[in-house]
Amino acid sequence: MSGIDRTRVPEPGEVVAFEFPAVQRRGLDNGLALLTARHGQFPLVTAVLVLDAGAAGEPADKAGLAHLTANALEAGTRSRSGEELAWALERLGVEFTAEASWDAVSLAITVPRQRLEPALELFAEIVRQPAFPEDEIARLRDEQLASILQRQKEPRALANDMAARFIFDPDVPYARPLIGLQTSVAGLTRDDVDAYYRANFQPAGGTLIMVGDIDPDAAAALAERHFGDWAAAPRRAVDFHVRRRVEKTTIFVVDRPDAVQSEIRIGDVGVPRHHEDYFPLLVMNCILGGAFTSRLNLSLRERHGFTYGARSGFAFRRQPGPFIIQVAVATDVTAPAVREALREVNALREHGATPDEVSAARDYLAGILPLELQTTEQLAARLADLAVFSLPDDYFQHYPARIAAVDADDVRRVANEHLRPDRLAIVVVGDAQRVAPELEALGLGPVEVHTIT
Amino acid sequence: MLRIPFERLRLDNGLQVVLSPDPAVPVVAVNLWYRVGSRDERPGRTGFAHLFEHMMFQGSAHVPETAHFALIEKAGGSLNGSTWLDRTNYYETLPARYLELALWLESDRMGWLLPAMTQEKLDNQRDVVKNERRWRVDNQPYGDWDERLQAMVYPPEHPYHHSVIGSMEDLDAATLEDVEAFFRTYYAPNNAVLTVCGAFDPARARELIERYFGEIPPGPPVPKLPGDPTVPPVIGREVRAVVEQDISLARVYHAFRIPPYGDDRHYPAQVAAQILAWGKASMLYRSLVRRRRVAQDVVAYAFPIVVGSAMLVIWATARPGVDPAALESALIEEVGRLREVTAEEVERAINLIEARQLSDLQRVDERADQLSMFTSLFDDPDRINTELDRIRAVTPEDVRAMAEEFLGEHNRAALIYVPFGEGRSA
Repeated sequence: MSGIDRTRVPEPGEVVAFEFPAVQRRGLDNGLALLTARHGQFPLVTAVLVLDAGAAGEPADKAGLAHLTANALEAGTRSRSGEELAWALERLGVEFTAEASWDAVSLAITVPRQRLEPALELFAEIVRQPAFPEDEIARLRDEQLASILQRQKEPRALANDMAARFIFDPDVPYARPLIGLQTSVAGLTRDDVDAYYRANFQPAGGTLIMVGDIDPDAAAALAERHFGDWAAAPRRAVDFHVRRRVEKTTIFVVDRPDAVQSEIRIGDVGVPRHHEDYFPLLVMNCILGGAFTSRLNLSLRERHGFTYGARSGFAFRRQPGPFIIQVAVATDVTAPAVREALREVNALREHGATPDEVSAARDYLAGILPLELQTTEQLAARLADLAVFSLPDDYFQHYPARIAAVDADDVRRVANEHLRPDRLAIVVVGDAQRVAPELEALGLGPVEVHTIT
Repeated sequence: MLRIPFERLRLDNGLQVVLSPDPAVPVVAVNLWYRVGSRDERPGRTGFAHLFEHMMFQGSAHVPETAHFALIEKAGGSLNGSTWLDRTNYYETLPARYLELALWLESDRMGWLLPAMTQEKLDNQRDVVKNERRWRVDNQPYGDWDERLQAMVYPPEHPYHHSVIGSMEDLDAATLEDVEAFFRTYYAPNNAVLTVCGAFDPARARELIERYFGEIPPGPPVPKLPGDPTVPPVIGREVRAVVEQDISLARVYHAFRIPPYGDDRHYPAQVAAQILAWGKASMLYRSLVRRRRVAQDVVAYAFPIVVGSAMLVIWATARPGVDPAALESALIEEVGRLREVTAEEVERAINLIEARQLSDLQRVDERADQLSMFTSLFDDPDRINTELDRIRAVTPEDVRAMAEEFLGEHNRAALIYVPFGEGRSA
């Protein structure tokens, strides 16, 4: 025997210092900001262009337009067809990605350093000179319509879409899927895409992020060369008021006859990204459902065996996004799973969390930060958060201290303030005939059965 | 291209160790590969290797139930495990100061798992895994594609004939005695590779590894694979199945036997998969999605598996209103074009693979997993640095020859999913 005492948890060694990489900010005359940070030892650069063109600003009858416009960038430029463009990029080993979220459109490439210059030239061409060929726009629109059809048969996607629909008032953009609806997407045209692009894809309010094996001067020179003469346009105003759909807890069963599992979403309107309770909410949610050893997962998975996993989270957006508990359970334990999930919510409200739970959650959230900064893409994503939410450049330097300042009183207070069992939208995608009567018997509120056609 | 440094050692009990220090990061990754996967499962016990993996997180003699996850998460770390055809891996990534915690946890369950096993824990994790199967397979459109294709590509006596997740009946049949026997047979230091990657002092790590793992006794020689691992290099005829499901869009899967991972003749298939469907300039995206507009999406993937034959899978999802038979003939025609593949198409695929590998290796957990993999499968951790040479060596002629030999009707398993009520037209 080696004489070690296996009953004792080993003590940690000395702290290895972690500093969030220094963020350098510059600005171009046309209003485009430039954020750069050095990262790692690999000869790679990630470039992300974050534009103030998110789907929250779409006209309601054109839902899905931001998504289509972002996709349509790759359909070709004034000097290259879509196919030629894809060839030029991929010959360099580069994949271009375009994603519309509610608050922004993000366009990104990751490139070996020695190919950065030609790759960035193509990147700028895609962003600034899209041709939007009519025939290709029609193809991409039809693919988007087919994806909407597919989501109706994918229980997880369907549950997410239905949760949004039943949490938010129908007038709130967040009530609809980012990808849009059959009715709205079917009518989208090349002119819609072109108009949305002209109004929203522009430097003012945008940020170019360059992270990795590049210094700020080199990045600034590249930014100036490729985006310096990009003309700015007036920024749009996105203004809407977020309201919940139900003021009293309601159960919405979306029928999938013979489903072997129920996809459950328990949701409410949450808070915006800029909210004074942001950090307490992170810690509180970590205790409730943000990690493996959170209460919801320990109860629903490890104690009851109802599920492969249960979790919860706030989607932080410029306006209040949803708070959602999500879990997929065997059909015959649907009502017990809802009951146990709400029991955990109520327990956290009534009794708060133990000091050990609070410190474990703080340690987890602060410790995980450097683990999630291993790649240029990950660091660029954090810088994109700075851009989208107008956070200070040294925000992440102070992040661990802000987490550390949360205490058990904060946790209990925000649980009571922001987890409200009396006004939840409980969405169950499953076999209505089997689950609706049991859900009714829980006595939580009225049960509505919906059918997707 | 950057070189990943490493050193190897082997403890007296047979545990293979790979150390890859990187002082530039603030984290450390600990990764264990056990040479056991679904391929080792006996008839009537499909899914057991994966169920066993779940039991490895239920505590051990000195680690209380749920403490494994709780201690790592409290340290600010992430962790998981996964089971596949050829192996089961366990890994955690932590702030660097917690290396010893990870070694304590991993060594305790390697050496002292059985005292903590109870019927209650087994029943609980059986329920969890059955829900995992419902979530991944039974309640998911096309969710059983890999299960069906494995059964079509490999004969019943081959270790890859059944899926990793296994059947509900076999999961129900698993007992505590199975847990004990499986542990004693496969979970021994001489059947494992331990890799540490990230910020640590190698001398200190060697000392800690000897201290925590050195006293675990070696197990008996690991039994040879059940069934018959040898298969002819091609199926020999076309195998077909049409499945009706509650789906919106039909989908065509074609699977083929290809030379096993590690064999020099495997790499043209890896490159071919990228030529076919990776990126918007790929052959199938250009033809089936962009030009002919019969497919909604296209995917191709060469399974990196080592027993007898590996498998190349291609799928295309039909656009609404497109007859799956028309999609399938278009797919066959376009895959046939691999026989005249150009140097540019090969170059594009290789450049994408290279850039992806460079990006992946930024992560210490990815480096640790690849070092464990190459040591476990090929006894050669340096493959993390040389594997790309095998990819770069692939020529257009290699891809053409591979397509000719392996991607024809004589070696094809065709699996067609259609919406309910449309089975006869397919």
